[in-house]
Amino acid sequence: MDAEDGFDPTLLKKKKKKKTTFDLDAALGLEDDTKKEDPQDEASAEGGAAAEEDNLDLESFGKKKKKKKKPFNMDEIEAAIPSFGGDDVAASEEPEEEEINLDMDFSMAKKKKKSKKKELDELFADQADDDKSEDKENDEDNSSTWFGSDRDYTYDELLKRVFEIILDKNPDMAAGRKPKFVMRPPQVLRVGTKKTSFANFMDIAKTLHRLPKHLLDFLLAELGTSGSMDGNQQLIIKGRFQPKQIENVLRRYIKEYVTCHTCRSPETILQKDTRLFFLQCESCGSRCSVASIKSGFQAVTGKRAAIRAKTT
Amino acid sequence: MSIQNLNTRDPFADAIKGNDDDIQDGLVHIRIQQRNGRKTLTTVQGLSAEYDLKKIVRSCKKEFACNGTVIEHPEYGEVLQLQGDQRENICQWLTKVGLAKPDQLKVHGF
Ligand SMILES: [Zn+2]
Repeated sequence: MDAEDGFDPTLLKKKKKKKTTFDLDAALGLEDDTKKEDPQDEASAEGGAAAEEDNLDLESFGKKKKKKKKPFNMDEIEAAIPSFGGDDVAASEEPEEEEINLDMDFSMAKKKKKSKKKELDELFADQADDDKSEDKENDEDNSSTWFGSDRDYTYDELLKRVFEIILDKNPDMAAGRKPKFVMRPPQVLRVGTKKTSFANFMDIAKTLHRLPKHLLDFLLAELGTSGSMDGNQQLIIKGRFQPKQIENVLRRYIKEYVTCHTCRSPETILQKDTRLFFLQCESCGSRCSVASIKSGFQAVTGKRAAIRAKTT
Repeated sequence: MSIQNLNTRDPFADAIKGNDDDIQDGLVHIRIQQRNGRKTLTTVQGLSAEYDLKKIVRSCKKEFACNGTVIEHPEYGEVLQLQGDQRENICQWLTKVGLAKPDQLKVHGF
C-alpha cells in the first residue's frame, strides 16, 4: 500500500488508486461498490461521440466492462453488422455472447475496407454504414431509446435511466459520487527489539475522527498487548509488529467503528450512551450500536516468577 | 430520524438454546498473543461449556502438532490455549468438526 492521501476526483485516478492506496472500500472489500458506480459513470461520461471514444478507452482499464456494453442491444447490433468502427476496445473486452458478435463485426468491417478498396461503391456504402451505426450509438446513449418503440427495454437501460433521474434530481451528487477517503498508511517502526512505534497514530485517529483513546484501546485489545503514548505523541506498542499487521487492525477498526453499517459512509459520529457505543451516521441518519472493545482472555506471557513476586 | 439497525443475531438465542443441532451459539474469539521473540500463543475463548475442552485440546494438539492446554478463567470460562499461531488451523478445524459455524468465529489480532 502506497502513501497517497486526499480525495480522488477523477475516474481514471480512481481505478489506479484502487490498487495502490489504503482506501476505505478496499478496506471493506466492497465489490458491489464498483457496480453501483458504474451506471453513474456512464451517465456522466455521456454526451457526444467524441466523449464516447474516450469513455470506451477508459473502460478498458477497469474491470467493469459488462454493464457498459448493454446499451447496444442485440437487435441493433445485428442491424448494424457490416461495420461497427470505433468500438474496438470495447468489443475486444466484452464478455459473453455479445463479444462474438462485436468482434465479428469489427473484423468484417476492417477486411472490407482493406481488401475491397477499389470498389468505390462498396467503400462508400461502408462509410454510410459507419455513419449510420455511429448515429445509432448516439441514439442509444439517450436513455429513452425504447420510447415509442415496442421492443423490450433491458435491465441496464432501466438502471441507467433511474440513475439519470437520480442525478437530475440531485445535482450535487453528480460531482463526486461519494467522497471516498484515503488514509495515510501507518508509520510503524521497530523500537529496540521488543517494541514497536506507531508514529502517526495521532494523525490517523484525527483522520478517522475518533478519540485516540478509543483507537488505542481497540489496537491494544486486538493485538493482545500493552502500550502507551510517549512524549512525541507516538504510540509505543509492546511486541513486534509489521506495518501490514497494524494496517489490518486499522481496517477492522474502520469497518466496525468508522463507516456506517448501513450506507458505509465514513461521516459518522461515535457516541457513548449508557455504557454502549453508538455509531450515528451523518449521511443517512442511521444509528446502530457497535461492539464494545474487550480484550477478552489474555494468556500469561510474561515471566511467571515475576508476577508471583509482585502479587505476594 | 434514528433507525436502529436490526441485528441479525437473535437476542433470545440463549433462551431458546439447544433446540436442534448441537452447534453452539455465541461467538468464539480466537486471539493471538506475542511471546518473546517470534513465538506466539493462540487462545480460543467462548467455546460452549457443554463440550469437553480437554478432549478438544487433545485432538488439536495432535492435529496441529503443537502443545496446548485448557485454562479455567473466572470470567471467560474454559479457554483453549495453543502454542504458535494456530488461528487458521483452529478456524478450519472448528468448522470441519462442526463445533462452530464460520460466522461464529471471530478472529482477532493482526
Ligand atoms: Zn449511513
